[in-house]
Amino acid sequence: MFYVGLLTSFLALAASAAAFILVVIALSRKQTQLSGAAQLLTKLGFLAHTAALLSLLIMQVLQDYSNVYVVSVINPAMPWILKITALWGGQTGSLFFWSWMISLCAFVAVTGKKRLLDNWSFLVVCLNQILFLGLSLFADNPFTRVWALEDGSLVTSLFAPQVGAVVEKLNNGMGLNPLLRHPGMVIHPPLLYIGYALYMVPFAVGISTLARGSQSEHLLDQTRTWLLSAWVFLGAGIVLGSWWSYDVLGWGGYWAWDPVETASLMPWLASTALMHSLLLERRRNIFQRFNVLLVLLSYLLVVFSIFVTRSGLVNSVHAFGESSISIPLLVFMFVLLLVSIVLLVWRWKSLNSEWKFGSAFSREALFLYTNIILIALVLICLWGLVFPLINGALTGVEMTLHRGFYDRSTTPLFALLVVLMSVCPLVGWSAANLQKLGKKLWIPLAAAVLGLLAVFLGGVRQAWALGGIFIVILGFATLVYLTVKDVKAVGLTRFPKLWWNQRARYGAWLVHTGILMIALGILGMGNLAASIEGTMVPGEKMPLRGYEIEFVSVSESFENPEYMTVSAETVLYKDGKEIARLNPAQHIYPDREEYITIPDAHATLRGDVYTLLAGYDVDVPYITLRLSDNPLVNFMWIGGIFMTVGGTLAATLPGKRSEREEEAQTVEETLESPSAANL
Amino acid sequence: MKNKKNVKLIIGVVVIAAALLYLVISSTLSQSQYFMTVEELKVGQAELVGKNIRMSGVVLGDTISYDPQTLDLSFEVAQIPGDHELIKEMGGMSVVLAQAAHDPTLPKILVHYNGPRPDLLKDEAQAIMTGALDESGVFQVSELLLKCPSKYEAELPAQSK
Repeated sequence: MFYVGLLTSFLALAASAAAFILVVIALSRKQTQLSGAAQLLTKLGFLAHTAALLSLLIMQVLQDYSNVYVVSVINPAMPWILKITALWGGQTGSLFFWSWMISLCAFVAVTGKKRLLDNWSFLVVCLNQILFLGLSLFADNPFTRVWALEDGSLVTSLFAPQVGAVVEKLNNGMGLNPLLRHPGMVIHPPLLYIGYALYMVPFAVGISTLARGSQSEHLLDQTRTWLLSAWVFLGAGIVLGSWWSYDVLGWGGYWAWDPVETASLMPWLASTALMHSLLLERRRNIFQRFNVLLVLLSYLLVVFSIFVTRSGLVNSVHAFGESSISIPLLVFMFVLLLVSIVLLVWRWKSLNSEWKFGSAFSREALFLYTNIILIALVLICLWGLVFPLINGALTGVEMTLHRGFYDRSTTPLFALLVVLMSVCPLVGWSAANLQKLGKKLWIPLAAAVLGLLAVFLGGVRQAWALGGIFIVILGFATLVYLTVKDVKAVGLTRFPKLWWNQRARYGAWLVHTGILMIALGILGMGNLAASIEGTMVPGEKMPLRGYEIEFVSVSESFENPEYMTVSAETVLYKDGKEIARLNPAQHIYPDREEYITIPDAHATLRGDVYTLLAGYDVDVPYITLRLSDNPLVNFMWIGGIFMTVGGTLAATLPGKRSEREEEAQTVEETLESPSAANL
Repeated sequence: MKNKKNVKLIIGVVVIAAALLYLVISSTLSQSQYFMTVEELKVGQAELVGKNIRMSGVVLGDTISYDPQTLDLSFEVAQIPGDHELIKEMGGMSVVLAQAAHDPTLPKILVHYNGPRPDLLKDEAQAIMTGALDESGVFQVSELLLKCPSKYEAELPAQSK
């Protein structure tokens, strides 16, 4: 397997290099159409790359402990599914996996009906392939083996480090980090990587558009599906990651503004802005410059994010630590940045820059405000990440911005975004003004006031929470109100067809509903949550709000060969009545000197009552327990599902302005006109 | 008409930019955090009271005291270098931790934390602490992160042969 993997991985690299040379030759001859040979090479390269990936997977599953990577992430007690997912459980494997994702995207780009066939785009794609696969193979090769030298010492090397050295097969591996053995962590990295990799293709097309000087109408048709899919995967990946941290890291948090988290949010924010301005370009043919800029920025931020995760330059709990690939990555990032800037400056004048607004309250204007806020958020994140570096270089004092910085500076902006999201669907294209807005707003507004009253009577008194809940209900009510209006306009029987034909529009509404739910979850966790910590002996109770938790017993068991399970039995009461039995636990890995907490929660739509086993003694016995009331938290995960479904729906709509869509647009205009008429 | 619109636009841009700048600058000033070693903290003690500080040091096992009833946890940490390069030169983190834990000449500081005692808290562990210095010179920790010496050992397991 070692030879298969090594050979095919280098073949894949050679194929990318050959394709790159072909593309360069073609470009020097001023041919813009991608040749058949280059396409074939890309496909073959992908097949070879896949074969290499499979050989690594086979080594993992068959536990080939002569492979260094297998030794570092596998052990015999792990179930087979984790032996597979360990592929992205360590720095080496995940870099190789990432390079494969890039290959996959290149492969998809040259196959299928809507092929991407121009040399300029492909130049960029090939460069990415060569860089990442090259980094993986030369800086951190996943096939590196363990060798025993003649004097008995062990070294790691790809080939025999000296005469007389033999490949050494160890008996055992270290196994995957326990924190990474959660279902959320099993799928979170691949989703994130797919999202990241998908941004590469629009970036390539963007560069190509600028290099060729063609109009960017082309750009938007070709990249819409790519961008939407990228956005969906990245968004889903981020939400899953935050669910994982809520469920595994034990502190009950879901987002810590850690550098790696922040860096993954940046391309998402930038491309969210892009989604909005692309729509405007389509409808009103404005914002073209802005769009090209955002397409380029999204992928640049992806590369930046990879850099943050892997360079070890930024202090983070998630980062892989220092590695030898940081310098090449940094150089690559700056080359891409420089090329983007030069091309943008060169073509700036030729890009359509029409900029026409009906009024400051038209939908275009609200889209613009949305985008300004999104870009501002990206800049704040960027500042938060680079400030420690700049400050360190200038003053020599090591300093960082902790989460308080992000909380304080981004909260008002996120709040504004939610407000804009709530009112935007009500505002017509171009010819809206405040008066018209007011007339449409009153029904959702009334609903929001009623909702606010209900929450207030329900006992919520914090001003921030009330304000937030008001805005979110306003947003929900608006979307419901508009949907009901659409149903009324076309009739219930025709509505499903309209809904499907216009899935970009309704998909977007689903996404907005999802975001509002996430906002609700954040609000609940940020403003309404409470927790208490204490040490209890059996029979003792600990109160929190209307709840009480009673400690019954604590026991150790050894069912799993790798870890010992410590499980506490507790009973949760609400207003004196038993509502659930919760078993917060710990898994203790004696060999690794590590443990992870397995929280247990009583989950409802209202929120979680969350228990965490923080300490214990089986002999006394006592436990130290953390009990938290996390209102509304589950809306965050439901919102994530809405966001993913909505985005996927929109992504399935064909990219070209088809007749069907023209028709759909007419329907939409008729839908919008009655409200315009009765003013 | 056109001029009027431009003026409006400029005012709008200026207001937004000013608001953003205010947000970023004020947040930067109020929420920044110092990375320090035990030694640096001891030297600058007087001016650093109340400032948000992130500090790393090695846990001295004999000094740990913990009350499971009140969750009061205190222990001493000793100086380890903050520079990655220097740690590498000295033979890696596990070597540095082991040496520092048994070197009485190094600067030490008493830290206090309220919360359950982490299992990883033991002699020679690296503690990464976020908190602030109080007037009596005790470092009050709000966030406690521990790394075990074993984490820094070489990639290949020693028991393998």
